[in-house]
Amino acid sequence: MIDIAGIIAEDFLNIAMITLGGVLISLGVHFVPVGGAPAAMAQATGVGTGTVQLAAGAGLTGLVTAGFMMNVTDNMGLIIASGTIGAMIMISVTMLVGQWSYVYGVGCPPASAKVKYDPITKDRQDLYVSQGTEGHGIPTASFVSGIIGAGLGGLGGSMIYFYLLSIENGLPEADFIGIASIFAIGLFFVNAVIPSYNIGGTIEGFHDPKFKRFPKAVLASFIATFLAAIMGVVAIGGM
Amino acid sequence: MEPLTSMGILALMGAAATIAGASEDLESDVGSQSNPNSQVQLAPQMMYPHRIYNKAVSGEPPSNALMCAIGGTTASVLMSTGASVMLALTIGSIIAAVIHGTYSVTSYIGRTASQKRFKQPLYLDLIRTHTPVIMGYAFITTFCILVVSYLMITAMAHPFPLPLLAFIWGIAVGAIGSSTGDVHYGAEREFQNVEFGSGLNAANSGNIVRKAESGLRNGIDNSWFCSKFGGPVTGIAFGMVVFLTGWITVVFDPSISETMGWEAIIAGAVIVLLLAIWNRKIEVDARKAYGPYKKDEEEVAA
Repeated sequence: MIDIAGIIAEDFLNIAMITLGGVLISLGVHFVPVGGAPAAMAQATGVGTGTVQLAAGAGLTGLVTAGFMMNVTDNMGLIIASGTIGAMIMISVTMLVGQWSYVYGVGCPPASAKVKYDPITKDRQDLYVSQGTEGHGIPTASFVSGIIGAGLGGLGGSMIYFYLLSIENGLPEADFIGIASIFAIGLFFVNAVIPSYNIGGTIEGFHDPKFKRFPKAVLASFIATFLAAIMGVVAIGGM
Repeated sequence: MEPLTSMGILALMGAAATIAGASEDLESDVGSQSNPNSQVQLAPQMMYPHRIYNKAVSGEPPSNALMCAIGGTTASVLMSTGASVMLALTIGSIIAAVIHGTYSVTSYIGRTASQKRFKQPLYLDLIRTHTPVIMGYAFITTFCILVVSYLMITAMAHPFPLPLLAFIWGIAVGAIGSSTGDVHYGAEREFQNVEFGSGLNAANSGNIVRKAESGLRNGIDNSWFCSKFGGPVTGIAFGMVVFLTGWITVVFDPSISETMGWEAIIAGAVIVLLLAIWNRKIEVDARKAYGPYKKDEEEVAA
């Protein structure tokens, strides 16, 4: 018989930190500039793919780098920092190459339709938005926002992975890593999906009015991740 | 491991990833998948029936993750029975490609049949000519991703199991493909009937180009065009992701000392900063080269 209350009491710090990781992912997804299907036709500002897909792609790349770092060191700061940097590199490369496609392949300069001036470069935006579109490409504000978002996603994902792997149990190491990483991926998807209801397909980054809705998604993620963390910790701790 | 050997392995991984990225994008162009397919799907409803293969198994990241996970699992099982690595990775990729081909055919037939009321014909010869091409690209993508994952596990001592690593790289290659190369297909190739650089007015939605350089346009024509820009840039993007995320820890090996680990993090931050500066430069240059779409009304009024 598994001592559920005992495991929860013993690993409460892990549950709390996993929940915090989930909340960070949820917040991070709001920063990632995604234009969904309209952006793939250069009809909206941001990267031309879905919220969950891009956030997951970046965050999971961070998980790969964090997993590698965890294999060679047990310094928590280093592991989490490597997850953050891995995700940031992935999204920077994706946004930059996406920008090549918009500028060289489609012939549209980057422009935001949500603000008149870019909050970082102070460049005029509305004049560069082509007729009948909601902007195109990735202006500097969206690029910086994307880096912050992927960084938070990578940070949250690697935190979840680190604290899942800190649970004591009797599993062989290879199985333990497999289960912890699958669980981290699962929690990543949960927390990437919840904010996408807020975003509703497109968001340009922190300067987009939709960004202000993030507290609701963060609260929802907090509840969902907390319950999932309890289940995960009990399942892994009871093995 | 010797730093030079690690760099060699990393270069091999980067090369395999570049091929995987390019073939992933071209596979999605032949079959028309992901976001640009919304226009192919919409066209018959706007009275523009076409001869383009219309498959959207799912978004690109889940469909590639599925392919790679199937390939990785099959290869893992085969290797555990003592099969050679090359054989295991090849058979794993073949099985993944066959399953992807099955999904492609069923989704093409299903989607086209559902558009009967809009008089969209179902071309059986498209299934015969396009499906093997889709499966061929799917094989190349899966095989290259499996090579990257296998090298990470055996040579770089990554702790994740092969199917899981293949799954993660499948998600990443799909996310990159649908963010980069698809824009060339969706915003340029599908709408060559509007002036280059004029932007795509939402009112033109569904009015995709249906005539090819010769005859009616099909998915293979689209992959021919996208192989000149969309495919290669997707390959560069995925190759860069795999190479750069590995490069920082190969050059600054964290297993030597923790200080080296922190140096790897700083190197990564510098790379991100350089990419952001590069992006800003492209933005400024593009605005200067193309100019604004409309005049400044405030200035005109003054």
